[in-house]
Amino acid sequence: MEGVFSEKTGKGIAVNTRILTTEFKYFVPRTLREALRLIDQNGPNARVIAGGTDLLVQMKLEVISPDCLINIMKIPELNFIKMEKDSLRIGATAKWSEILEFCSRDRKHAALYEAVRSLGKVQVRHMGTIGGNLCSASPAADSAPALLVYNGRVKLVRARGERILPLDKYFKGVNETVKTAQELMTEIRIPSIRNGLGSAFKKLTRVGTDISKISCAVAIVRKGRVCVSCRVAMGAVAPVPMRMRGAEELMDGEKVEASLVEEMGHRISAEIKPITDIRSTAEYRRQVAVVLFKDVFWMAWKRAGGEE
Amino acid sequence: MKKTEVSFTVNGETHKVNVETNALLLNVLRDDLGLTGPKYGCGTGQCGGCTVLVNGEPVLSCLTLAVAVDRADIVTIEGLSKPDGSLDLIQEAFLDHGAIQCGFCTPGMVILAKDLLKRKAHPSETEIREHIVGNICRCTGYVSIVKAIKSCRKKP
Repeated sequence: MEGVFSEKTGKGIAVNTRILTTEFKYFVPRTLREALRLIDQNGPNARVIAGGTDLLVQMKLEVISPDCLINIMKIPELNFIKMEKDSLRIGATAKWSEILEFCSRDRKHAALYEAVRSLGKVQVRHMGTIGGNLCSASPAADSAPALLVYNGRVKLVRARGERILPLDKYFKGVNETVKTAQELMTEIRIPSIRNGLGSAFKKLTRVGTDISKISCAVAIVRKGRVCVSCRVAMGAVAPVPMRMRGAEELMDGEKVEASLVEEMGHRISAEIKPITDIRSTAEYRRQVAVVLFKDVFWMAWKRAGGEE
Repeated sequence: MKKTEVSFTVNGETHKVNVETNALLLNVLRDDLGLTGPKYGCGTGQCGGCTVLVNGEPVLSCLTLAVAVDRADIVTIEGLSKPDGSLDLIQEAFLDHGAIQCGFCTPGMVILAKDLLKRKAHPSETEIREHIVGNICRCTGYVSIVKAIKSCRKKP
């Protein structure tokens, strides 16, 4: 037995994390069609499992007890990373290690690269998937801020029909999204990065492999000293990872001055809705948001200008 | 609960085991196959003690369903020594550098070191530290562990 802190209840609970007590049916579909059929047939208490790094922990802690698991890792249609003419398409079961490898070759998606790098634990990079990260929908989901500033979209497919929606319309609350139980996330699309766009991501943690206390991504298009467009997203500061639209408006089309960046930071600090939890207090998050944003802004700014 | 037959190779040997769907790879390795190298530390993916190689990639066996590794190729610390029983270079280095105190984290550390050196023949100290960041040594013997791994690097 072991004492484990339950994120859901906010209390220490004693559970045996050596075993999984939940009993469940288990399916390994080989095609998307088969997976959708299984999702339909097994009802709302069935869960889709990819890397399992989050789901199995939740099951061990008895936060959830699905009666059926559908493993989507053996579906070739869901595992790809493709650069197409107008977008980068990442299959839902692409692992962090695969995305990291792609990003280090492609060198255009610095914020995404840094987000994946920030997932310190090598083992988790070889297990966890980008789709799983977005479906768990933690407010601290590491991939979310980067995907938000790239105007990423997610594709949700059900047995009859599909929809593609922008990521900032996807998150609904803590571990909650607009995805219905009948839908499966199949891919993430990132519109092609235009030349001159610079991006960066940074998060603050207690130790190397921890969940972030707060995270920030910035994407900038720059013309000399003028910021043509600036997109900012923050994680772990509200029930959902979110774009900082109010702050973005301050900068769009403006000549960049340190004072303006400072002002943006304060706008962000006011715009976020942080809580106090085991990782930080709300007050700390509000204060450090300014500092973190400024750091990330200047990194992205330099990159947009080809200075790095 | 109904059992499912899964087959996989562990350290080069093929095994067929009947497991329940909720059996975890770590427990199958330890309890069914008697391979007690991989350790149960936290059970929630924080300590890295259960690390094994699945199809050449380091994964947490305490968060891996046994049914999910059907037909996989698995390597545990027991598979690193040579057929004559002599130790792997990395194991020798851990002994030489006193990188083992209580020994509980050692199997995970050695497996990760093996993985790193396979990917990169001459990792920097930073790269070594970054690679093992997810594995906890409760004796805090990190300095010796890093030294041991450094000593296994190929000359540049």
